Amino acid sequence: MRLIIIGFGFIGKNLAKTIFQKVELIKQFDRGFKIIGVSDIQGYLLDEKGLDLERLSRISAVSDYDECFFKGGSSLELINKSGAQIAVEATPTNIRDGEPGLTHIKRALTSGIDVVTSNKGPLVVAFRDLESLAEANERELRYEGTVAGAMPVFSLVDECLQGDRIVKISGILNGTTNFILSKMYFEGTSFEMALKEAQERGITERDPAYDVDGIDAACKVVILANAIMKRSVKLEDIERVGIRGITSEAVSLAKRSNYVIKLIGTIDKNLEVAPKLVPINHPLCVHGTLNALHFETDLAKELTVVGYGAGKETVSAVLNDIISILKRKAGSA
Amino acid sequence: MRLDLTLALVDRPGQLVKALEPIAKNGGNIISIIHEREKTAGMYVPVSLVVDFPAYENFWKAREDLEKIDVNVVKSEEVIERANITAILIGKFDLKRILETKIKGLRIIDFEVSAPTSKEACIKLNLEIPMESADEAMRELKRISREENAILVSSI
Repeated sequence: MRLIIIGFGFIGKNLAKTIFQKVELIKQFDRGFKIIGVSDIQGYLLDEKGLDLERLSRISAVSDYDECFFKGGSSLELINKSGAQIAVEATPTNIRDGEPGLTHIKRALTSGIDVVTSNKGPLVVAFRDLESLAEANERELRYEGTVAGAMPVFSLVDECLQGDRIVKISGILNGTTNFILSKMYFEGTSFEMALKEAQERGITERDPAYDVDGIDAACKVVILANAIMKRSVKLEDIERVGIRGITSEAVSLAKRSNYVIKLIGTIDKNLEVAPKLVPINHPLCVHGTLNALHFETDLAKELTVVGYGAGKETVSAVLNDIISILKRKAGSA
Repeated sequence: MRLDLTLALVDRPGQLVKALEPIAKNGGNIISIIHEREKTAGMYVPVSLVVDFPAYENFWKAREDLEKIDVNVVKSEEVIERANITAILIGKFDLKRILETKIKGLRIIDFEVSAPTSKEACIKLNLEIPMESADEAMRELKRISREENAILVSSI
């Protein structure tokens, strides 16, 4: 199988490194697996014989690779020319119009390429359209990395809860707000101080409003509602309150009654992101930058997944999606 | 609907079985029975039952049928399941606004105020509400907190 990586930022680079480290494992599912193309903002690499994985794992921009570099070439050109069977879309998230990821995914699907993405933007903006496009073109669109990073969410529901009806999903969907609220809970610091520390540690988005005003969590609620609950919702349908107004007094008042305050995304008859009181013995009571998702279903009743929702751990979800496609293709060959 | 009933049965063998038949016939599902022999009054023994009826009409029909066999219903009371809502409100907030809502059966169980004089005053509330009104109560709390420019932090 021939794979291309669209976007060579944090996820793209870490994916290249991980594929280099795990290539023997990947080849157990597909002996012919190779990365044939990678694009970033400066251009793209394309080598039909397969790029050198060791070299790819060391470079910080595609232009550093020297050979097979098409300077100024676009990602769309790479998709068109590559003859790839899998495209990993890993350009930066844009929740206003989903671009450029949206166009990349559409082009790949209509060109007969299966798509794996960790980019929330296109799914937030056009989930139903993309799902229909994948179906019409008989292609796979996998997006495990878009919600709660490394945590199995969609795979869990698709593979392990096939007979269950999901009644409610609630959870901590943003690690930065969990870090801030955990700091406030354990150290009694103010919101402003905790946010400053999060920024110093580099765990906030460039614009912290994306985290603290609940926008990032709301994007994930949109994807979960559409993908798992089969709803048809957009970002503006989510009732959203962030954590800017949470005071240390409120945190300590909650603490005295054995509650913690967490920013919780909820999907049931309501679609909401808001600070909530979580009992200290509830499975969603996890701290630091951890994410947690709690499923309520008719058969399994209650099920909670906890893990890291951002960072290079997300590569785990992307790689799992790639291997799932390889296994399916091997099975149907 | 769930009803808490007390029947006055004549203290003779077979009376309880006789009394249960009109209840079952009218769709009553018996949840519990307590035969309160220690509270015998003259020739009568009180029997407490919790029964689910499909509708109030079913209970009335059962009651009529019980009277026809000389069993009196001496007490009937609807059992209302209640929900507890715990919430923290951040910002200046007038508690009277909650008490003035038209939500039937809403009660403030307790509250705790922190830093009442600061701009960041917050109050923790424990409310009790009939289960069927819990969603409405949450909507009202959200509406009031929006109008008061306060942040509502409710329990999950």
